[in-house]
Amino acid sequence: MKNSLTIFKKEIKEVIRNKNIWLPVLIVTIIFSIAMPAAMILGSNAILKDPDTVNFINRMFGDVDNPMRVLMDFMIKQLIIFLLMIPAMVPSLIAPASILMEKENNTLEPLLATPLKTPELLLGKAMTAFIPAFALSTISFLMLTLVVDVASYIKLGFAPLPTPEWLIVAFVLSPILSFILTMASVIVSSRSTDIRSAQGIGAVVIFPIYLIIGLQLAGFFMLNITYLLVGCLVLLAVCPLLLRLAVRIFDRENILTNWKMK
Amino acid sequence: MIKVANLTKRFKTVTAVEDISFNIGESEIFAFLGPNGAGKTTTIRMLSTLISPTSGQVTIDGKNPADDGDYIRSIIGLLTETPGMYEKISAYDNLDYYASFYDIPAQRRRHNIEKYLKMFDLWKRKDDPAGTYSKGMKQKLALSRALVHEPRILFLDEPTAGLDPESAHMVRQFIDSLKHENTTVFLSTHNLEEASGLSDRVCIIKKKIIRIASLAELQGSSKSKRMEIVFSDGASKFLTLLEKIKQVSSVEIRDNRAFLVVDEPHQSNPFIIRSLVEKGADILYVNEIKASLEEIYLGLIKDEETR
Ligand SMILES: Nc1ncnc2c1ncn2[C@@H]1O[C@H](COP(=O)(O)OP(=O)(O)O)[C@@H](O)[C@H]1O
Ligand SMILES: [Mg+2]
Repeated sequence: MKNSLTIFKKEIKEVIRNKNIWLPVLIVTIIFSIAMPAAMILGSNAILKDPDTVNFINRMFGDVDNPMRVLMDFMIKQLIIFLLMIPAMVPSLIAPASILMEKENNTLEPLLATPLKTPELLLGKAMTAFIPAFALSTISFLMLTLVVDVASYIKLGFAPLPTPEWLIVAFVLSPILSFILTMASVIVSSRSTDIRSAQGIGAVVIFPIYLIIGLQLAGFFMLNITYLLVGCLVLLAVCPLLLRLAVRIFDRENILTNWKMK
Repeated sequence: MIKVANLTKRFKTVTAVEDISFNIGESEIFAFLGPNGAGKTTTIRMLSTLISPTSGQVTIDGKNPADDGDYIRSIIGLLTETPGMYEKISAYDNLDYYASFYDIPAQRRRHNIEKYLKMFDLWKRKDDPAGTYSKGMKQKLALSRALVHEPRILFLDEPTAGLDPESAHMVRQFIDSLKHENTTVFLSTHNLEEASGLSDRVCIIKKKIIRIASLAELQGSSKSKRMEIVFSDGASKFLTLLEKIKQVSSVEIRDNRAFLVVDEPHQSNPFIIRSLVEKGADILYVNEIKASLEEIYLGLIKDEETR
């Protein structure tokens, strides 16, 4: 554990120095946790005037007393899904950079010759990807809450967040997703020699995110606690498999003879 | 200190090392000499617990790598074939990072880092990122990394390959200075002078072990010897005579000299000289031509290829 912490501390310093990692994260955070929710709420009057919106609300929710409130709920369900970009994106930017730099610089073999245990090495690398992912997504969920609540309080007189869905997405689904992306990035990085293409693994989650958003918009499906919990359970089941695979890949002999090096 | 018995390593289709055995004593400097692809790096990786043998036994300080890998790793230092550093991090922090994985007190660690950085003339640039170092400086830094935790066994994989002469000289001098320390050194190299100049014994390897011997043993070992016979004139007259003698495996005449390769010279030389004199040769000198280490080495490697 002490060794993993040593690795974590050194790697975090390198991440902070690497603006190829934090710049995209910063941009995405600003767009999805500040700009988009602010624009949606401030423009909600206009959205509600659109006959399509009224149609949509009637079709999905029937006859409602307070269409604004309903619209708000719906937008929040979209926004929290958009925000899953962050827990997915951060580990898939960090882990490949950290592992492929070791390959490029030939620093792994000397490391493997020390008494450092390979699971400690894996843990150190995983912490480097997972902890910033968790921290940044928590920050962006809190920021979203602040922006949504302040904007809608000023404009509509109520603060809709937090909702139970919000809580599950921010503190259960998002860390699970970060963990999966961390392990997947580690595994992909062992087979890759190019940082950018290994980082592409993060893009894979964009499809399910857009799928959910699209399905909600089309009215096929509406996020609720049950769906969310089932989704979390399914993803949680994948975690031990990925972990087992990653541990197997992080073995001295495997690293030196089976990993793809330049 | 190091015992190796019938060690073999096969990768999917290639056999990298086959049935090698040797023992290395405490504080011995043991050179592992072989051409590219001979299996030097593979052997070092097996001895340093990084990869496992296909068959055979390795014992390091009485322990075997499969059961006591952590112990072995704590007493060895490894200079890899292409050692790298974290380029954006300072030289000092690089050493500190690697050293922190060993169980040594922080104060001792700092002391050793300073000692080696000063010894290799890098102390003034200790805070510069390792990426700004020249190749020779990087190698010295990597050597420091292999040493900071005071290993009892040091594995050096081609430590001077690709270095400029000055850096290579410095690295060799350092290895030479280890003779007076308690460190056991396993030196892999394809450089003959380096192997013979620095080590107690040389192991010539090309997948299998071709020979393990000291320098003197190697030089005295060749069964056939080269010699030169200097005639007062007309050496070419005796070419056919020399060619007919069966102990003479090759003859070459240049000016007044005949260059011969003779099997078992102790028995054959008196006979060869007598035959020449009987045919009226005026012999001025007969000289032995000592084979250079290079010739012996190339000869041994070649014998192995044709076997
Ligand atoms: N991971 C590996 N997979 C397959 N073949 C390998 C691997 N490592 C080394 N070899 C092969 O084993 C042989 C010995 O290689 P190596 O130990 O690197 O030799 P040296 O260090 O003496 O140049 C070579 O033929 C090499 O191609
Ligand atoms: Mg090699």
